Amino acid sequence: MFDTLLYGVTIGAILYFFSIGLSITFGTMHIVNFAHGMVYSLGVYLFITFLPWLGGIFPLALAMAVAAMLPVAYIVERFIIRRLYGESLDYAIIATYAVLLIGADLIKYIWGTAPQPVSDPVGVPLVVFGVVIQFYRVIVFISAIVLFLGLRIFFSRNVVGKVVIAALEDSDGVRALGLDVNKYFSIAFVIGSGLAVLGGVLYAPITTSEPYMGFHILLLAFAVVIVGGMGNLTGTFISAFVLGIVIAVTGRYYSSAADTMVFVVMVLVILKEPLLNSMRRLIGRRARA
Amino acid sequence: MHSVADKKNLISIAPVGTSQIVRDLAIVAAAFLLLSLFIPLHWLTDFAIFCILVLSFDLLYGYMGHLSFGHMLYYGVGAYAASLSLLHLAPNPFLAIGVGIVSGFAVSALVGLVVVQVEGAAFALVNLAINQIGFWLAFAGLQEYTHGEDGLPSSVEALGFLDFYNLPVALGFVLICLVLVFCLLRILTTSPYGVIIEAIKENEDRVKFLGYNTYAYKWLTFVIASTLAAFAGTLYALVKGFVAPTDLSPLENTRIIFSVLIGGAGNLYGAVVGAVTFEMLSNYLATTISRWEMVLGAMLLVLVFWFRQGITGYSYNLFLKMRHRRRVGG
Repeated sequence: MFDTLLYGVTIGAILYFFSIGLSITFGTMHIVNFAHGMVYSLGVYLFITFLPWLGGIFPLALAMAVAAMLPVAYIVERFIIRRLYGESLDYAIIATYAVLLIGADLIKYIWGTAPQPVSDPVGVPLVVFGVVIQFYRVIVFISAIVLFLGLRIFFSRNVVGKVVIAALEDSDGVRALGLDVNKYFSIAFVIGSGLAVLGGVLYAPITTSEPYMGFHILLLAFAVVIVGGMGNLTGTFISAFVLGIVIAVTGRYYSSAADTMVFVVMVLVILKEPLLNSMRRLIGRRARA
Repeated sequence: MHSVADKKNLISIAPVGTSQIVRDLAIVAAAFLLLSLFIPLHWLTDFAIFCILVLSFDLLYGYMGHLSFGHMLYYGVGAYAASLSLLHLAPNPFLAIGVGIVSGFAVSALVGLVVVQVEGAAFALVNLAINQIGFWLAFAGLQEYTHGEDGLPSSVEALGFLDFYNLPVALGFVLICLVLVFCLLRILTTSPYGVIIEAIKENEDRVKFLGYNTYAYKWLTFVIASTLAAFAGTLYALVKGFVAPTDLSPLENTRIIFSVLIGGAGNLYGAVVGAVTFEMLSNYLATTISRWEMVLGAMLLVLVFWFRQGITGYSYNLFLKMRHRRRVGG
């Protein structure tokens, strides 16, 4: 059971890394950003390419992959996302989906369709009181906690963070302040993309990478963002871990249903109010009759 | 896109006449018969089925403005229900179609009760999630009935001349269905009901202020669109004799959305033109261009940024402009 929980919080940590950017883009610009999955998967493939070049030093390759993806993220923000600001939701979804599709095909073109495994950089399981602990997963979990605390400081101290937090509350109001908000949104977007790459690379040793990995994590991350409340950063943190544990626990008892359970939770959360409303309507009608 | 919608509204407020329906019938049927000269018949049958699916989605997205990422679910429900009916009840095609339609209706009626209460991104994503759950049910959850990944083969008996394994007959049958669906949607969208759902797309609150129960209209539209998608699914099951979970994969929804956009959303001819164009592109380009998805992605971007009216909207505007010029020029 401990193993399952550790797996759950590891998945939760990865989901958290990925979902921050999604949550910020949704909260500030009201755009459902499918292109986030492109940044994520392309970053992981770059990492896989860099790793042997850099003598297998995991952190160095990680830093290189993140650094390489930042300009890509900026281009996506500047030429796709910013043009869609204030547009209807549908066009934003379709345009960013197109970016995701192009990214997946680019990966297939450069790296092929074969799944790419990455070996565990730590590799030594820790044995504490007779329980085997995958030390790498503990590191991933701890780094998510550190990131959460770091982001809290960033959002309360830094101007970019403050603007983003204000924009999450009232994005039109922030635009009326006379600040060059586009610049701050750009920076926040690029940071969110960097974190997605970070999460993807940390996840690579636990899973195998394939061209359509971006689609898969996007679906899960939508669930995280929605369950946590769109644009609510603390909510995103909590829901990422809760859903990570849901995946791990379901997977333990009924492995094929692991991911589907997340969507069940998501449907229930989105439809909580409508479901209650429907029940009230039914009960109300009966009471009147 | 708005200007097109406005102009169209002015035209289409009047109830549709028989002559309009006869014209629609003739145009759609003639277009497909013309295509049959150039395109292999089994492809054309697929095209026609896909047209029904795209038409059903156009009612939900193009007319009512509700983007769903879960429309394939109802297509899949129709296809699986029809196959199961062929296997376990009787190999009768009409029974299978009936069972498929009733199943699609039942599922969407229940799901619709709650999903139409949410809007925008939540509507798109909750439908995506429900589609994913349906996909999982077909893939693993209900493996006993669906045979999971292996898919579900079925066979249908010939009723007189109606033999689904005879290509021209199958095409004819599907074409008749397509034309019927087209006319049904023409009648619906030009009726007062159609005006109200287009008004819901523009501003739902104002429609509420006018005293309409928008919830009922949204539910009804969701159910009609989904049931028609299930109908398309039953035809697919009959013609192919095989259903697999990938037929209701959530990723397949992009095909529908792309078709509606390329043809021009909120226009029945747009849906048909878009569906045929997309199928032609994906059948011909995918075999000649190996980087097909990249081309598709690039085209989607072009559509969103520069070509929002789609083929039909663009040609209609061109037509208006030319007529205007002719009048002005005398």
